Amino acid sequence: MKTLIIEKIEPKIIGELVTVGRILGETPDLLAIGQGEIPGTFNRAFQCRETIAANLVDSLAELIQKNAYQVILLSATTLGSEIAGRLGARLKAPVLSEVIEVKPDMTVKRPVYGGKAVAEYKIPEGHVILTIRRKYFEPALLEGTSAAEALTIENPSITLLSEDQIQTQGVRLEDAEIIVSGGRGMGDSGNFEILREMAGLLNAAVGASRGAVDEGWVPQTMQVGQTGNIVAPAVYFAVGISGASQHLAGIANAKCVVAVNKDEEANIFKRARFGIVSDYRNFIPVLIRALREEQ
Amino acid sequence: MHIAVLAKVVPDYEVPARDFELAGNRAHSRYTRMIGLYDENAVETGIQLKEKYGAKLSIVSYGHGDDVPILRKAIAMGGDTLHLVLGDSDDPYVIAANLEMALEQIKDVDLVLAGQQSADQDRGIVHGILSEMLGYTFLAQISRIEFDQDRWTVHQNHENGSRVLQFSRKAVLSITSSHENVPRIPVVRAIMAAKKKPVEKLQGIDAAPMKAEEIKVEIPKLESICEFLPLDDLQQTAKILLARLREERYL
Repeated sequence: MKTLIIEKIEPKIIGELVTVGRILGETPDLLAIGQGEIPGTFNRAFQCRETIAANLVDSLAELIQKNAYQVILLSATTLGSEIAGRLGARLKAPVLSEVIEVKPDMTVKRPVYGGKAVAEYKIPEGHVILTIRRKYFEPALLEGTSAAEALTIENPSITLLSEDQIQTQGVRLEDAEIIVSGGRGMGDSGNFEILREMAGLLNAAVGASRGAVDEGWVPQTMQVGQTGNIVAPAVYFAVGISGASQHLAGIANAKCVVAVNKDEEANIFKRARFGIVSDYRNFIPVLIRALREEQ
Repeated sequence: MHIAVLAKVVPDYEVPARDFELAGNRAHSRYTRMIGLYDENAVETGIQLKEKYGAKLSIVSYGHGDDVPILRKAIAMGGDTLHLVLGDSDDPYVIAANLEMALEQIKDVDLVLAGQQSADQDRGIVHGILSEMLGYTFLAQISRIEFDQDRWTVHQNHENGSRVLQFSRKAVLSITSSHENVPRIPVVRAIMAAKKKPVEKLQGIDAAPMKAEEIKVEIPKLESICEFLPLDDLQQTAKILLARLREERYL
């Protein structure tokens, strides 16, 4: 199947999509979005400096049809979700989003009902657009760089006024082996400081549930869950997090979940390997002391 | 200014995984039905635009006639009119075609808002397909909208932060949740008034479905068994936890 990856120049994400492409056949071609060198060796690579997905669709559809690409791979990110539906309608192609499993026989799986069930689909011949959920496929190692053909955009209808890249202090959430996450049970923005202190001792990243983000306690870039960051750490500390299915969908690949919650009926304990039924205000300071003693 | 908000009625999305049950390939019908998680954020965003700019706010849905009492919540929150396209497909192309038909009939809609994804199929693609059918532009993950001198300025969340975008065309926007669009709880008087508002029911249309065969839907096994640590002495609890995490090579 002739496959095209469309993705920003982020080697790990492109690597995940290359892995998916190889399951379906050969190494795919790449359309890299943004500026910089193209990581990895591709038979054919294109590059477009325009990063607003809404401005790309016309040129993308033309490129895909001209080169007879059948499978279009995107990551299930803001960029991917902005392109997938429109491109699908333009190409009259099936669109399957948030894919978590791909087989060579062209069957794919994706979660439904907030991850409480999984649906399997058979993809027919012809165009298909897949957005791939992060952290479900081991990223292929991208060696070397590729020269790219330029893809230009004419008459963009959306203008970028400003961009705010959040600078993460310490370990990035998506790369973290240990994550300390807080939920609505934290009670206040200032209370996240204790989680930052704990994360510092564990070389961990700090995350949050949607509830804590909606309260305005932490920025949305810290959100873990189906509609935030999909993470796959070795240990995930869920502190004051009830465990809504949308949150659990984001930590499905965490190897070990430690839940700290004063409500013993909290759903998070159904996903946890270790449970501490306690107010975090009592337990986390003690855990921090224990970590300090070990150092 | 005329804003339409798309709202889908879905099975209770807060049902915990341990209690979730399928009937065939879909959620069991015994679950309470409600407006989707992010659709309520979209309704709230629409109401805020109505209050700020004096816009007309239409609520548009595709689903069963039984959904009307549930959708009235969006009217009680602040929607002006409710339009329901009758149909039972959950194919994204069929849903988008029916919503397009409804929006064409409503006429003069400047902006279409929808939750970033439904809370049942979790696809997040219907609004993109719809925008293409309507010939509108589409932006995803929008958390704030402003209007000035015929231009929309929107804040878009992405994985590494956010950005501010501007456009002047008609658009479909997928709305993400933020602390600025937490859905309001309608007051009793508004709930009572919403019950009297007329509902426009439109007959659904046939449309070509997506060419992908759904083979099966299954509930994955939950394999984790929680070991609750003793709480008599929290210092000891902390030490046991760290020791166990090391024993099992997680730390």
